[in-house]
Parts: sequence; structure tokens; C-alpha cells
Amino acid sequence: MTRPSTVATLRRIGLGGITGSPVAFAVVLVLMALLLAVPFAHNGYVETTFRYILMYATMAYGWNMIGGYTGYVSFGQVAFFGIGAYCSAVLSTMKIDNLFADVALACVVAAAFAILIGLAVLQLKGHYFAIATLGVGLAVTDIVSNLDALGGTGGMNISQVDEAHFSVYYYAMWLVALGAILATYFIARSKLGYAFVAIRENEEAAAVLGINPRRYKIAAWAISATMAGAAGAVFAAANGHLEPSIAFSPDSNIFPIVMALLGGIGTVAGPFIGAVILAGVNELLQRYFVNVHTLFFGAVIVLVVLLLPRGLVWLFGLRGGARAWLKSLTVNKA
Amino acid sequence: MQLLAQDLVNGILAGGILAVVALGFSLVWGIMNIINLAHGAFIMLGAYVTYQLFVSFHLDPFLSLPISFVLLFGLGYLIQRFLINWVARAPILTTFLLTFGLSLLIVNLALIVWTGDTRGVSTSYSGANFTALGVTVPWAKFFTLLVALAITGVMHLWLTRSKTGRAIRATSMDIGAAQLSGVRTPQIYAIVYALSAGLAGVAGTLISLSYALTPTMGEPFLIKAFVVCVLGGLGSVQGALVGGLAYGIVEAFATQIDLPIGTQHISGSGLQDAIALVVLLIVLVVRPTGIMGKATA
Repeated sequence: MTRPSTVATLRRIGLGGITGSPVAFAVVLVLMALLLAVPFAHNGYVETTFRYILMYATMAYGWNMIGGYTGYVSFGQVAFFGIGAYCSAVLSTMKIDNLFADVALACVVAAAFAILIGLAVLQLKGHYFAIATLGVGLAVTDIVSNLDALGGTGGMNISQVDEAHFSVYYYAMWLVALGAILATYFIARSKLGYAFVAIRENEEAAAVLGINPRRYKIAAWAISATMAGAAGAVFAAANGHLEPSIAFSPDSNIFPIVMALLGGIGTVAGPFIGAVILAGVNELLQRYFVNVHTLFFGAVIVLVVLLLPRGLVWLFGLRGGARAWLKSLTVNKA
Repeated sequence: MQLLAQDLVNGILAGGILAVVALGFSLVWGIMNIINLAHGAFIMLGAYVTYQLFVSFHLDPFLSLPISFVLLFGLGYLIQRFLINWVARAPILTTFLLTFGLSLLIVNLALIVWTGDTRGVSTSYSGANFTALGVTVPWAKFFTLLVALAITGVMHLWLTRSKTGRAIRATSMDIGAAQLSGVRTPQIYAIVYALSAGLAGVAGTLISLSYALTPTMGEPFLIKAFVVCVLGGLGSVQGALVGGLAYGIVEAFATQIDLPIGTQHISGSGLQDAIALVVLLIVLVVRPTGIMGKATA
């Protein structure tokens, strides 16, 4: 729980609020429009890189809904991503190769799983919720790895479109990302979004105001699962092969969280901005420092947490320059 | 019957290590309200300190216990003083990610120093065991359990009898009242974090006697440490011990389960994380305070 004095300090220097800077949101929409042009470069490497950026952005929006707006820090989003991915693989074995069907099934199954598991896990708070969700991610990985029907650790293959039409996967991911951005924008401005934020700030007070915390928490969790599942479905179709270590990789679990944090959690623009920057940085590190790129990524996380704990989007609204920024860093010092 | 007894003993032997792992984890969680995701990395460092001393100087692993404790204590002190202290009162996401980032840094540095090769500490008594009442007990694991019990006992005495120990417990009960009584809480935080890292180092040394060493070896112990804390009851030394032993036994039996799904049988040994999650959820629903405890869920 944030202390009242902390809240007051943050307000005074312009770091309060609910949706974040509208300027930042406009920047996101412009960038999204520009990203439509990527396939015209006819460069497979560039297209794949940007498809990953869009994928991570979608997952960051998914995490942002439950972790950013509702304040329930989840470390299990990779379970929904993997479940969505396996939906594509299963449909492919049934000779249904249609991206719309993949995404639709992934959304439904991921949301249903979220609701089911949420009935138990969302009873928990704080650390307990975080570790239980971490456990959900690991447990789903364990179970899928052991199911012969899903190919076990060897995985499954997914039939793909021919080389000439490969950009369809890019556009599909673009659409999924746009859906996540717009959904976040409209939810943040609706009664639903205010209910989420009310639960984050004070669950008991929200309940007194007539918000049923349990129902709204499950809603937030299901929406976040839908986003992760949709990203997983398109990822699997584009990848052509799926196995537990790919579908449930630790990177897909932790990257979206760090991206949302860098951009600004609980904002509409933050996850996208964070995804573009971090996925870009990660790509460069992998290219030029193959052996030590995870080491660098660890350092990036430490620096972001210590120097930009509220994210980049809040800096747009910061009043008082560098001194106010330095002050905001010490509010949580012991 | 014989098999059951063997499983039970295996569980208790594994539980002793889990108790030491959870002891340090529980201290930081209970007193600083931080889930230290770098705990697994500290365990790994402790194991490699032992390995390096064994390979370079032929030092017996049990003799390297104090060395890995002191080295990890120092590292933990520095990390708390210069990094974690800045966000000690931040929302949980901040401390989660900070300690996760630290864990990535440490594990990947270890990958550079020691590479990803699997290593082991094989002493003259590594393979030796004794048999009592038809149950086989490896000597290394037996002594590990004794050391684990001794450490738990010393920690309990220190926390209840010494001045610093009382200051630590006071800080965990009511930080405001502790400060008014003259306890310098940042100092206490630094000591607690350093002590926790030191205990992780000790756990690593003990683990190196019976398990293989890789830079990522600490990760499986993280979620188990959490479950042990919840199971035993957060914030007490006895809780970590009882929780560790109980979880060790549960896991020893649960991994023997053969689950039929359709035409296929799934062995419990492949489902360790799922078992941990199920135990966690059951404890949180049935007895959220843990076996010994006074925790808040």
C-alpha cells in the first residue's frame, strides 16, 4: 500500500492520474500507422523483428490490464500466451488453417482458463498472488510438457502459408496489437477501467462503493488473458513449430512486464513505448553481444527499476525538471 | 512398507536442505516484506564457492561452510545498502523486478566465469551410505541434515536472545515502535538481507554435496522456498524448519504418483512445479497461517 505522503509528493510533481499523457497516446497511434509499412521493405529479418515487437507490445498490454490497472502483479501471463499458441497448433492438426479461427479459439480458451483459475488465485493478494501466478505458469508448462496429445517436449508442427504471402502473419499481429491498444484505451476511460483502478488503490473502499472486487478482478484477468492468448495464436502460426520451451519461455513471461514498467504501468501508451524500446535494445544486444545479452538485460531491468520506477510516459507530465525526478526516486527509500 | 519408509526418510533428508533455503528467504520476506527473487542466485553462488575451494585447494565442503557464509553475507550487505535500500518501501512489483534483474545479472556472470557445464563436488564420502532398519541413508545427506538442524537452532537462539536479534524481531512486529525505541531500521534491513544471503550461501554449500552444479541450479528452489514459508508459517525459524521437513516429505511422496490421463500415464516426478502450486493453494485455502504460524494472506 502506498503511503498518503508518497501519493501527495507524486501529485505535487505531476506523477498522479489514471490514463497517462494523451500526447503519448497520439504518438502510439502514429507509430502504429507507420508500422503498417514494414512489410513493404521486403526484408524477412526486419519484418520478423517488428512482428516480435508487436507481439511483446500486445502481451505488455495484457499484463498492464491486470498488473497495471488492477494492481495484481501477475507472473503467469506466459501460461495464457502458451495456451493461445497451442490452440493454433491443435487447429492445424485438425486441418483448420485460418488465422481468424486461431485467434478466436485462443481468446476463448485463454479467457475461460483465466476465469477458472482466477476463481482460486484471485482470492490471494500481493506476494501470494504473484507467486501463485508464477506457479500457474510453471505448472501449465509441466503439464503440457507431459501430455503426449500435445506432442510432449518434442512439440507440434503447424502448416504455414507459402513464402509469398508470409506477411499475412505480420498484419495479423498488427491487428491483434491494435486491438489491445484500442481495448485498453476504451476500457481505461470507461466505468470498467475506473473500477479496476479503484480496486488497485483500495479494494475495501471500492467494495464499499458498490464495486464487486471479485467480479471485476476476474474480468481484468480474463481480458489480460485474451490479449496474451491472441498474441500466442499468431506467434505459433508464424513460427510453424511449437514446443513447451518456446510456448512458455521465461522471456515471454518477463519481457512484457519490464516493457510495461519502462513505458509506464497503468497508462494507455506505456506498454507500446516500452515494447518498442526494449525489444529494439534486446535485438541490438543479441546481435552485437550474443554471449552476454541476458547479462545486459539484467542490468537494464535494475536501472529501469531504480531510475524510472514510474515509466517514461509519466515523464511527459513531470513538473519541476531534474530535481523533481530525483525527488521521486527517493520516496521509497528505507 | 519398506518403500514408504525409504520415501519418508528421503523426504526428511531433502526437507533439511529446504529448511535452510527457506530460512533466509523467510527472514527477508517477513521483516522487509520483500520476495527476494535473487535468493536462488545466492544459493548457486554458495555452491560454486564450495566447488571452487574444493577444486583449487581440496578444501572439504563442510569446512567451506563458514567461507561461503561470510562471502555471501558481504555481497548481500552491499546489494542491500546500494540497491535495494532505494526501493525498500516501493510497491511489490518494484522489488520483485529489482531482485529478478539482480538474479539475471548474477546467474549470467556465473555463466561467464564457470560456463554452463554441469559440475559436481565429489568427496571420498560422496557415494558412501549406511543402512538402518532396511532404509538406505547417504552419509553426505545425513550430515547435511544435522548441519541444517544446527543452523536452525543457532538462528533461533540468536533471534530470541541477542540484542540484534531482538531488534530484528521488533522491526518486523512494528517498524514505527522499533524506530522510537532507538532501532536503526536501515541498519537492521542491511543485516537481515546480508544474513539471508549468507544463509543462502550455506544452503548452496549443503546442496553442492548431493546435487549437480549449474549456474541456473538455484531457480527450482525459489518457488519451493516460497511454498515452505507459507506451509510452515511466515516469520519464524521453527516455521521454516517444520515447513521444510513437511514439504520435503510431501514432495517425496507426490513424485511417486502415477497419474493416468487417457491412454497415457504421467509420473509425478515431471510435475514438481504443479505439485508446489497445488500444495500452496491447498495451504492458503485450508490454513492460511501455516502450520506454525501467524502469517497474513
